[in-house]
Amino acid sequence: MTRRSVVSLVLLLSVPPAAAAEQDRPARTDARVTNNPLQGNQDAVRDGGTKFRSRCAGCHGPDARGYIGPDITGLSAAGYTDERLFGIVRRGVPGTEMTPTDPLRVSDKEIWQMLAYLATLTPAPATQASGDAQNGERIFRANCSSCHMVNGRGGQLGPDLSRVGSGRARPVLLNKLRGTSETVRPGYEGVTIVTRDGQRIRGVKKNEDEFSIQIVDMRERLQGYLKANLAEILYEPRTVMPAYSAEQLNDRALDDLLQYLTTLRRADADRR
Amino acid sequence: MRALVNRTLQLTAVFAAAATWSVAAQQTATGQVTFQDLRDGLKDATRWLTYSGDYTNQRHSPLTQITPDNVHRLTAQWAFQTETLGKFEATPLVVDGIIYITGPLDTGWALDARTGRQIWRQRRELPGNLIACCGLVNRGYGVLGDRLFKTTLDAHVVAYSMKTGATIWDTVMENYRNGYSATAAPLVVKDKVVVGMAGAEYGVRGFIDAYDAQTGKRSWRFFTTAGPEDAGHGTWRGTDAKAWEKGGGSTWASGAYDPDLNLVYWGTGNAGPDYDGSAREGDNLYTASIVALDADTGRLRWHYQFTPHDVWDWDSTQNPVLADLTIAGQQRKTVMFANRNGFFYVLDRATGQLIRAKPFIETSWAKEIQPNGRPMLLPNSIPSEEGTRICPDQSGGTNWMPPSFDKGLGLLFVTARESCGIFFTWKDDYNPGDSFRGGAVQRVSQYAALRAIDAVTGEKRWDFPYTAQSWAGVLSTASGLVFAGSSGNFMAFDGRTGKNLWHFQTGSALYAGPITYMVDGRQYVLMPSGTTLTAYALPQ
Repeated sequence: MTRRSVVSLVLLLSVPPAAAAEQDRPARTDARVTNNPLQGNQDAVRDGGTKFRSRCAGCHGPDARGYIGPDITGLSAAGYTDERLFGIVRRGVPGTEMTPTDPLRVSDKEIWQMLAYLATLTPAPATQASGDAQNGERIFRANCSSCHMVNGRGGQLGPDLSRVGSGRARPVLLNKLRGTSETVRPGYEGVTIVTRDGQRIRGVKKNEDEFSIQIVDMRERLQGYLKANLAEILYEPRTVMPAYSAEQLNDRALDDLLQYLTTLRRADADRR
Repeated sequence: MRALVNRTLQLTAVFAAAATWSVAAQQTATGQVTFQDLRDGLKDATRWLTYSGDYTNQRHSPLTQITPDNVHRLTAQWAFQTETLGKFEATPLVVDGIIYITGPLDTGWALDARTGRQIWRQRRELPGNLIACCGLVNRGYGVLGDRLFKTTLDAHVVAYSMKTGATIWDTVMENYRNGYSATAAPLVVKDKVVVGMAGAEYGVRGFIDAYDAQTGKRSWRFFTTAGPEDAGHGTWRGTDAKAWEKGGGSTWASGAYDPDLNLVYWGTGNAGPDYDGSAREGDNLYTASIVALDADTGRLRWHYQFTPHDVWDWDSTQNPVLADLTIAGQQRKTVMFANRNGFFYVLDRATGQLIRAKPFIETSWAKEIQPNGRPMLLPNSIPSEEGTRICPDQSGGTNWMPPSFDKGLGLLFVTARESCGIFFTWKDDYNPGDSFRGGAVQRVSQYAALRAIDAVTGEKRWDFPYTAQSWAGVLSTASGLVFAGSSGNFMAFDGRTGKNLWHFQTGSALYAGPITYMVDGRQYVLMPSGTTLTAYALPQ
């Protein structure tokens, strides 16, 4: 692509004709462009890589193969159009940590650069669908659903997992189950309250300030405490979710469970 | 004859109108708030007339009705809600029982200080395509005579009637379409309204302006990036010969004033593009600096650059605090500055000479500030394409939240941030009004604390760690109290020890600084939170 054509494309991205006629400054909303105009542009790929590392890698991992957020290396192969990907980055995914991007901070061009970079990444090898999802669901009902809700059934101490298959990468789920995850989602940190009379109440921390703490205890009761009335607060480094060792959950059962979890993709809210 | 009479009457009317204007002008100059009132500052502690109470920016009130012994009885008396989106970042002014406060999206109110009841409200029409990086906020009015002054998000300076809120004059500072905006509270000095601007994330050239309070005509402008005619121009080198034209240095927080030296002190913002300094080699004067300007002419008297060649977005737009300190047995006229780059500086405010600099948070970018005033950089302290971990993060060791200074205790109270970030850099093309940052930062850790710093030694005296990030300013009083907050909690502390004495959960984050005033013999403390303004006092 010549430099002139790149410039033209950039202008196309950012200057609607009506606004240009008014000699107003370029509009900052995404113009309707269906294909990435910077696809394959080496400069764009390089800049997009740096921008991806600064803005996206914290959730999607440095290789985009998933960390807190899902693996996004194979989206094009999975049928996502450039326009749809652009819309996801600009508008976010409702109900997830993927928030909209502010046009005053991230321009249309920058989004296309990041998508141009993403397109160069080799998709992670497809995970063999080796597990038995039906057995995985049975394992889930027996071990997990007392704390996790799926499609309206289950407990509420842990996060609702109705769409966990579209929002979390398989390695992330594996780490959560084996207890090797480094991250705890805010609002699910484990905590034990010790009252002045020695009573210990374990639960999940929902909020805290300098003088009070709010938790959901293991019986799902919402409770608030004044710190001045407590003997101690024990902050746990991870969630209250048990770590399932290979003795408790063998690799085969784990595979079945993961297979079930990856099928949970209710209400694909980003498909707009 | 009849025609002559008519002409005489007309001329008389013209002269009468001119005389009326002249009288009005004099009334404006000597009306409800005079320059002498501003100069006296908190000598009349029933009022709060400037952003930080007086020209020193000490935010330290002589009021003593509320004390460490009785502050536990402090109670909310009334609350005012703006019924707008956004949040308060403004410091209210209080003049003779009336509160004047600006809100988000260029709104403003006059309120009865006894009850919080609204007297008038103003809302400025704003264009739909504003370019403002960091919140559609405003930090407050300035006042002189019977007029209020404020800056606007579309980069105007406006004068309003204190009686009605009606616009008296409206002057364009710069074209907002090119990335200029303004949020700083004006500093009124003599007959001039001194203001700053914002926009260093969009390739603007920063400045400090002064406008005639009577007419709105610009009196002077000081550019914060040195042009070819300026002594500091040689500090803009590299591949972009015009880097200074878009080199940032915005001035979005209020300054201080020393009437004896007739100097205005103002902090300047980050160099632009924020994280990519490759095309602007050199120190990039006068960005990330404090400048001392002649109040009458705007001429530079001295400057001190806190962060030469800033590539970390460390605006030096914190509030300079003026104080006379005894250092090494000598009485020194100083200006103190707790900087976003993590160092606490004490300078001679007559000359700009560095007296002392010491970190007040954990920093990883500079080992120390050398006797020649320059930082000694540590390895791995420059943003990179791969990302470099640097402390503090881009929001810095502190930010716009104003500190307070208790001269009796010799302590500066500052909302401090302990933080680190991974700094990335890339090349951005410059287009007027478009984001021009040249990088971004991934924040990796942060917490905040109220910190007391010994003004003379720079040592930390006490610390109150908050459970969450805080953007709240600080107020101290002659009774030995310090007011600050976090997590929505508005709190009072013993200034000597840092012991928490009182708190009130306001229900919304604190982004502004508290003030105190007195009406009907009763001391109130006023704190904005979210879009609510709450007044506290002891029960009657």
